[in-house]
Amino acid sequence: MKNLKPINQKAGRIEAQIRREQLDVVGLESQPPEGANIPLGCSLVFFPGWEVDSDGGTAGLCQPVERDLFDCHLACFWPAHVPDQLNHSPDWTAKCASAQKDWRKLDLVFP
Amino acid sequence: MRLPVRFATLVAVSVLGGGVLAASRPQPLVPGMPTPDTGPRSFAGAADEGYPIENETLITRCSRCHEPDDQGRMTRISYERKTPEGWQTSIRRMMALNNVSIEPDEAREIVRYLSNRQGLAPEELEPGRFEVERRMIKHRYEADAGVEETCIQCHSMGRVITQRRTRDEWDLLMATHRGLYPLVDFQAFRTGGRTPDSDEDPRQPMDLAVDHLAEAFPLETPEWSAWSATMRPPRIAGTWLLEGHEPGKGPVFGSVEISAGATPDEFTTRASLTYVEGGLTMSRTGTAIVYTGYQWRGRSNAGEADELREVMTVERGWRKMTGRWYQGAYEEFGPDVTLTRVGSEPVIAGVYPRALGVGAGPTQIRVHGANLPSDVATAAFDFGPGVVVLSATASSSNLFTLRLTVDADAALGARDLYVDGVSLTEAIVVHDGVDRLDVTPEAGMARIGGANFPKGYQPFDAIGWNDGPDGEPDTADDLELGRVSVAWSVEEYTATYEDDDVSFIGQLGQDGVFVPAVDGPNPDRPGSRNNIGDVWVVATYTGPGADPDDPIQARSNLIVTVPLYMKFDPFDGIAPGRLVP
Repeated sequence: MKNLKPINQKAGRIEAQIRREQLDVVGLESQPPEGANIPLGCSLVFFPGWEVDSDGGTAGLCQPVERDLFDCHLACFWPAHVPDQLNHSPDWTAKCASAQKDWRKLDLVFP
Repeated sequence: MRLPVRFATLVAVSVLGGGVLAASRPQPLVPGMPTPDTGPRSFAGAADEGYPIENETLITRCSRCHEPDDQGRMTRISYERKTPEGWQTSIRRMMALNNVSIEPDEAREIVRYLSNRQGLAPEELEPGRFEVERRMIKHRYEADAGVEETCIQCHSMGRVITQRRTRDEWDLLMATHRGLYPLVDFQAFRTGGRTPDSDEDPRQPMDLAVDHLAEAFPLETPEWSAWSATMRPPRIAGTWLLEGHEPGKGPVFGSVEISAGATPDEFTTRASLTYVEGGLTMSRTGTAIVYTGYQWRGRSNAGEADELREVMTVERGWRKMTGRWYQGAYEEFGPDVTLTRVGSEPVIAGVYPRALGVGAGPTQIRVHGANLPSDVATAAFDFGPGVVVLSATASSSNLFTLRLTVDADAALGARDLYVDGVSLTEAIVVHDGVDRLDVTPEAGMARIGGANFPKGYQPFDAIGWNDGPDGEPDTADDLELGRVSVAWSVEEYTATYEDDDVSFIGQLGQDGVFVPAVDGPNPDRPGSRNNIGDVWVVATYTGPGADPDDPIQARSNLIVTVPLYMKFDPFDGIAPGRLVP
């Protein structure tokens, strides 16, 4: 890489990444864990996973989790992580603000 | 085909049947547990499997749906064995989804009856103890990778291996999962399709799982028939010595006074503990129930900020208990404990500090134990070659304070301690400096929280190692020195370009406890990402023996991830912010 210069942003980031990884290891005594780190109870094989993705990291998770949460609740997709609407927790979202429920309070006429 | 029966008639017959059964045999003091005057009796099931149910409350409350047969066996219930937690989960689901009408005390009686009558033998529970002890470990189910793959999509394998069922029951378990959570077919239980003419087993993952589970975890086992023949409430009242280790806090010593409770399986406890590193002392009072003759479930300092739940196994012989006491929203804090019964003899629990450098000048150490006589002569404390005890002072019958020196040319290695006929193996370890570090756990997990959901913390320890007499690292003669004082820091784990996780995920305290940041979308991150991320937790040792220009370091992988929005067990009420000292 000594005689090559990145000519666009992506190449620049790759170079920075390599530099960072090299620095990262210097002076450290122990090696990173073998393979992916997937702690107990992690559900990872769905797309993309709840606690970790299939590489054992958080980079590939659906983010922010709140963006997907209501759909998980509705579809019963993560039954051990999110209260499911189908059986156990039909009213989980009852306290959430909703124009559909509170339509009488919605003043459409007066300023 | 079964004839239709009027529902009310069915209930009346069932209740009556239960009453007759209960009246014919005196109800034991402990539900499900035989007593010498009601026994001997067999716990064996019927010839074609299944355990008759003899508890009146259980029959009354459950027979409306779980119809008893002519041998008193109730559908589903009679064909399973589980831990107390497993039975609790079933009853909770019945209450949540099936409108069972039951008072909490009745439910507790049923859990106790079923755990005693249809529980697990100690050998059966052993591989799944991490589940009931709430340990966050890396676990591999070696017996069948395909079954593991099918089950751990949603929950830990610990949930599976702490159950025993008939083949029909394992089938029904799959059916229950598919009924309650229809997406499991698509997520784990069935494959989307097969390659034509391939050699793959054409059966679905759920069918393969039933085959394996029915064979590996059947209802009746030699272990259970042997255990249920000898099972009884353990007589464990008395004084117990406690020795333990809490991640993030270090060694703990103490004593636990166990007294008999209202029934033979209930106990009350008074404990006094000392965390020797910081000198923190605490007293605890608690209550406990021992299920299945060996499964201790206790709660101490109930309602206080330092409330702990206690899960221990009373080992055969009733002289030792091991387990974990825990608290925290994700059960992440608390000591691993070993309790040893104390008679009138003196006992030594441990020594702190345990690691002593060669050539150490007069150094103070404390010997923790029980029944230590105050008049022990200094010369009676024998640590073996190279260690000279200068003085010994009794602070109490539980604690001696010693001053000692270690010769400059003392051999490297652990030393057994002998005092007047009492001993402790590897009481201290003589070393010539910290050569390397380990950060434990090797991989940790924390969960953001504090706004709407509780924080999930992660404590870390830095364990020092000496290379041992051969001077080579990672060989069998290396000496573990216990927790060493280090500086803690966090470094980026480069998984994503410029995600700058370190700035967002939270703080690693200088006590080694990681405190995650708040939950919810963070508008300061690209895409309003949560404060989640992957980092290295780095320990840096600059103490005696370290080269200031090249300090000894070690690291561990930390994942800071999203909350659980639901737990099968309710959250343990940890308020936002650090509560645990």
